[in-house]
Amino acid sequence: MVSKTEETQLNRLENQVDNGGGGAWDYLCLARKLKVRRPEKVLKYGLSILNDSKKRSALGPGEWTLYEQVAIAAMDCQCLDVAKDCIKILQKKFPESKRVGRLEGMLLEAKGLWAEAEKAYSSLLEDNPLDQVIHKRRVAMAKAQGNISAAIEWLNKYLEIFMADHDAWKELAEIYVSLQMYKQAAFCYEELILSQPTVPLYHLAYADVLYTLGGLENLQTAKKYYASTIDLTGGKNTRALLGICLCTSAIGQVPKGRNKEDKESLELQSLAAKALEKDYKQRADDKLGLLTSALRSLKI
Amino acid sequence: MAEDLVLDTAIRDWVLIPLSVVMVLIGILRYFVSKLMRSFQVPDPKIVKEGQVIVRARNLRAAANFIPPKSFRSRRVYFSNEENGLLFVPKGQAQNAQAQMFSDPNMAMDMMKKNLSMIIPQTLTFAWVNFFFSGFVAAKIPFPLTQRFRSMLQNGIDLSTVDVSYVSSRSWYFLNLFGLRGLFSLILGEENATDDTQRMMQMSGFGFDPSKSLGAEKDGLDIVQHEWALPKFEHRAEAVLKKLVS
Repeated sequence: MVSKTEETQLNRLENQVDNGGGGAWDYLCLARKLKVRRPEKVLKYGLSILNDSKKRSALGPGEWTLYEQVAIAAMDCQCLDVAKDCIKILQKKFPESKRVGRLEGMLLEAKGLWAEAEKAYSSLLEDNPLDQVIHKRRVAMAKAQGNISAAIEWLNKYLEIFMADHDAWKELAEIYVSLQMYKQAAFCYEELILSQPTVPLYHLAYADVLYTLGGLENLQTAKKYYASTIDLTGGKNTRALLGICLCTSAIGQVPKGRNKEDKESLELQSLAAKALEKDYKQRADDKLGLLTSALRSLKI
Repeated sequence: MAEDLVLDTAIRDWVLIPLSVVMVLIGILRYFVSKLMRSFQVPDPKIVKEGQVIVRARNLRAAANFIPPKSFRSRRVYFSNEENGLLFVPKGQAQNAQAQMFSDPNMAMDMMKKNLSMIIPQTLTFAWVNFFFSGFVAAKIPFPLTQRFRSMLQNGIDLSTVDVSYVSSRSWYFLNLFGLRGLFSLILGEENATDDTQRMMQMSGFGFDPSKSLGAEKDGLDIVQHEWALPKFEHRAEAVLKKLVS
């Protein structure tokens, strides 16, 4: 995930290059380092550098990484001829290279030739069974074809070996949620919380999944996680505030099993409601009426 | 002897400086040669998996208080249970790693290459110094030393009455050997093969022994007491909201 300072820096560079202020190479390097996905801009500025032979020779060995970056951006924008040219140039320079092989596989994917791409990736994996990027491309391909169960299977196999890769856990959690397999999604979110306990996003998502699962214990746990999200974001997260209100009213509706903990939580709910009203008044005054009527219907 | 010997400035011009320059040049040469000779080592899948398992187990230990007790317990069982827990290593396999490293031909070749690239230039340079630059006083060490160092520092000087602070060029060679490391990291960047002292220390503390670290992680995990931190968060959220609303 990109930090705020890095994002502002990237946007500043982007504006600068857009308005003709130069600095395209810095922008491309930063985009590559942060792994953000801005295909049109990368394609435009990358091509402008590559087509100008003076600028190209000024790059030195960075030229080849630029070719790779532009090829991927071209595939993203479906400019397959541009991509094919770049890959051909790279192939001439680096024959028998795994990185170029991977780009070829991606080109086959972009053209929609799934079977050939699958073959290309399998042969690459035979040579190097521990290449993380190719494993992930295989998962992405299965997902793009709509074959979600195959995607899940590949992703699980990948995670058996590389279990510390939290991007993969995030992807798996999203797939499970899209398939409504909430228990498994909860497990994935727990893994994410374990590896990065201070990121409020995961607490929020976990709380959402628990609330959806329902049941008294899950609702109580969900409330706790909404509370931790509020704590981590300083009370600014609207979704967590609404979550607290919903959870408390849902717990109230469960016929048995309430304990004294829930009595204290009534205060939390009223505080959350007040904070919500204040927030709405500041930012979306016209919707305040909707909010108050919704909250009133929740209160038991 | 209390009087000072006056050393010819020609010694400085023709001994100290050339010796340092030669050592720097040999270091740079070794760096490029090692880059050429470096072979690509295919990582073993089992070792990669074990590395990842350790990272995951460590995360579990560190952030255990953030997940509900039931999930923590189920994960702990998954990691350390007797039959197929990930961290559980039966006693017999524990010693395998070292034996494996010696018998694996690729790794043995790699180690030999690294050792050779270090030992041969050192030996050659040492022999060269001894041959050409022995038999005279090269420098004076600014602090006094005891008589014990005489044999080490004054190899060519056969006068036993010369002050031990006056040393021969062999000691200048050793000084350069250990001291040029900083210079090399400036010139060649962080990763350079001239880091002999580091490599010597690495050789003594041998090898990556995954089974031991797995066992250590398992013990650490068994010790952890799960204390769910989430209830506290409710109170903290209340405090935050109170401040926000007021």
